[in-house]
Amino acid sequence: MFVSILVPVLLAWVAFSGSIMAGETKELMLAVYSVPKEAYERTIIPAFQRSWKQRTGQDVRIRSSYGASGAQARAIIGGFDADVAALSLEGDLDQIAKAGLISHDWRTGPHKGMISASVVALGVRKGNPKGIKVWEDLARPGVEVLYPNPKTSGGAMWDVIAIYGAGLKLAEQQAGSGKKPSAESAEVYASGLLKRIQKNVKVMDKSGRESVTTFERGVGDVIVTYENELLPRIKSHRPYEIIVPDETVWIENPAAVIDRHVDQHHVRDVAEAFVSFLHSEEAQAAFAELGFRPIDQADVQASARTSLPLPSQLFTIASLGGWEKISATLFGPRGAWTTIVEDLARGK
Amino acid sequence: MTTHTLLQLALRSAAVGYVSLLILFPLAAIAHQSFIGGIDHFIEDISTPQASSALVLTLEAAFLTTVINALFGTLSAIVLVRYEFPGRWFLNALVDLPFAIPTLVTGLMIAAIYGPTTILGMWLQEGNITLLYAKPGIVLAMLFVTMPFTIRSLQPVLMELEREHEEAAFSLGASPWTTFWKVTVPSVLPGLLTGVFLTFVRALGEFGSIVIVAGNIPMKTQVASVYVYGEIESYNPQGATSVSVFILLISFLVLVLLERLTRPPGERMPRWFRWSKPPLPMIHPSEIG
Amino acid sequence: MMRRLFIGSVWFYFALLLIGPILYLAVQSFDEGIAAFWREVTKPEALHGFMLTLEITAIVLVMNLVFGTITALVLVRQHFAGRTVLSGVIDLPFSVSPVIAGFMLILLFGPETILGTFFGTLGVKVLFAMPAMVLATLFATFPFVVRELTPLLQTIGTDTEEAARTLGANEWQVFLKVTLPMLRWGFVYGATLTVARAIGEFGAVLVVSGNILMLTQTATLHIYQSYVDFNYVGANAVALTLLAVSFAILTVLELAKAKSAAIVTSAN
Repeated sequence: MFVSILVPVLLAWVAFSGSIMAGETKELMLAVYSVPKEAYERTIIPAFQRSWKQRTGQDVRIRSSYGASGAQARAIIGGFDADVAALSLEGDLDQIAKAGLISHDWRTGPHKGMISASVVALGVRKGNPKGIKVWEDLARPGVEVLYPNPKTSGGAMWDVIAIYGAGLKLAEQQAGSGKKPSAESAEVYASGLLKRIQKNVKVMDKSGRESVTTFERGVGDVIVTYENELLPRIKSHRPYEIIVPDETVWIENPAAVIDRHVDQHHVRDVAEAFVSFLHSEEAQAAFAELGFRPIDQADVQASARTSLPLPSQLFTIASLGGWEKISATLFGPRGAWTTIVEDLARGK
Repeated sequence: MTTHTLLQLALRSAAVGYVSLLILFPLAAIAHQSFIGGIDHFIEDISTPQASSALVLTLEAAFLTTVINALFGTLSAIVLVRYEFPGRWFLNALVDLPFAIPTLVTGLMIAAIYGPTTILGMWLQEGNITLLYAKPGIVLAMLFVTMPFTIRSLQPVLMELEREHEEAAFSLGASPWTTFWKVTVPSVLPGLLTGVFLTFVRALGEFGSIVIVAGNIPMKTQVASVYVYGEIESYNPQGATSVSVFILLISFLVLVLLERLTRPPGERMPRWFRWSKPPLPMIHPSEIG
Repeated sequence: MMRRLFIGSVWFYFALLLIGPILYLAVQSFDEGIAAFWREVTKPEALHGFMLTLEITAIVLVMNLVFGTITALVLVRQHFAGRTVLSGVIDLPFSVSPVIAGFMLILLFGPETILGTFFGTLGVKVLFAMPAMVLATLFATFPFVVRELTPLLQTIGTDTEEAARTLGANEWQVFLKVTLPMLRWGFVYGATLTVARAIGEFGAVLVVSGNILMLTQTATLHIYQSYVDFNYVGANAVALTLLAVSFAILTVLELAKAKSAAIVTSAN
């Protein structure tokens, strides 16, 4: 009898704790991928709260969640009621849009919806004992390479795409100036390079961040990851160096308002202001602090601030045919990377 | 109907209801996902090269873990119950710790202590012994998280096993060996089986610690739970749930087998599986430390 | 002689598997000194995490004690079709990987589901809020109380209770005055294990909580967050604290057992 009162009371407590809306103060829920957490928590969120207060006199309370980009996308699709999503890959935002949660074309915003940029780079131990300079060096026997699993990590997808794209570029170069290699032979070379590098991978963590922490634990000779992951660590005096290969991919990270949720919560104005704010000087400076590149390559001022030279053979996702095409080519069930992994396991 | 029967029915509904809602229902949702494309698809999902490798690796590692932990667990249980020595309370308190440690932390601890930055790790490297990011690492993680099971299942039984039974056997002239096989073993067998089977089942489902220490190379060091995670993350929930359902089926069969093997007497059981049933005590054996 | 060997081997086994790693964790948490350790363990995010873990653990403990007992009683005392199935199902949570445990809650309570929309219209957030976190932990801890009670119930049988009944006690009295006291140690063990396991729950809660800072981050999620923020000292410090709490609970249990045994032996 006592129990029959206690249990429902407990259940009620559980159900209602935390689900009571504040009322006066606007509340905004952010879902961000894990890497730029510091920029958001330290600078961007407080700055936005100040600017919104100044503009409208309203207080806005901001809740934030940081996690792997894909996991965040899946959480949002699974019911996580974020108002704004700032993720690592446009593919993840597209998934959310496909689920009907984003109804506007987020690519029509400033910078096509992208708020930060970087490139894929290599991290090596201080002094570069294995003498790693170019992509081919990662394929040398005896070199241990680290990158996460593309199936679980958006960052890893960027990494593998960088290797593959670099392979295509290298094939072009090898064909000699003026001559273009056939698409097939370029692909063969690129897949070959990817295979030889994948062979040297002994550990695949489930996220980019975890990959870096594994590297920091002393595992591996070279890590393939975002440049903006390596730069802050080097700033914190970690004993490693960064190498940006000439051939690498331009990474762009998008952010968008989640239409269905902002309308449910009546916070569209705040949410849209927040996304705009991400394009502002202040936010961009915060990203630059963390090692991101300016989203607008033509922005001379911003480029000067970061003093990061553009790789000579930089390529973009667009030049590879777009996200859908390249991910299917590489990571689909018959994809190049998938086949490579299986072949390697079989000893082929 | 008597109040007694009504009460029994009420309790039964409560138990069955709760278990159904908490366990069966959610698992049914998973099963539903995996059979959405029909049983052919299910079979296809679990027979892909990556899925089948992962399953085989998981079963192998879990089996090895079970054997090792059965041996050491039994030894530990016997030592902890039968012998008095300084620090016994400490070891006893430690036994349950693996339950409390988040699997993430387990993984990190193992990766740290056997990794390249410690003396132990460097020593291993020099001896060319690969522990981490290879099969031994997987077994190590599984050993850690399943450590309590055998010990915990055996201890109460050993404690309860009246010394008197053994002493009685001795006084009747039986040799230590005979006593062991004819008295001790049958009494502890249910406890031992429970510990062993639970170890196996638990090892099958481990994820958090393995994903950190295993390396996770598909078809080499990727266990089923990590494969499942990969499939969920790459928008293939069917492949993920199919493999999970397969693991669950194996676990369920193992647990049903366990239940059959450890049923108390008087219920259509082979005579040699017997719980020792003490006479009505004033102070209950379980209250004796 | 054999005795020494056995005890030694057990110490070795424990040292290698358990004590070594934990000692290493302890050393790492104090890598930057006691002040840093204290700072990490008392900062708002950590404290919030501890509070949240405590809340969830308390709820889960009560639910498990109630329903675990009922299930154990039904399993041992009643014979009905499907009993074997029930028994086989109880331990299944052990073999469900946390990824799947989280995923199944999403399958059940997601936005397009019956349950999801039902609770949505009631204004109750299940996923990415407390309820789902409690459910995930309930799922993971269910076997413990049941498994501690069933062997006990099997051993003690129904004789004492029958005796009490023939002496005129009603069901409730039988339960309170006869059954419960006999099950005392089963409860204590089961509760201890439930608490320990609930404190350590990580994977499933990570999936269903949304990992919202200062709102749905349990202690273990905070550890994970610290780790991926490269705050190793913070991660280790909080992990060590959780371990210490669990160890303290387990030690109290051991001491209580020893004391009770001392009373018994002195009474004899």
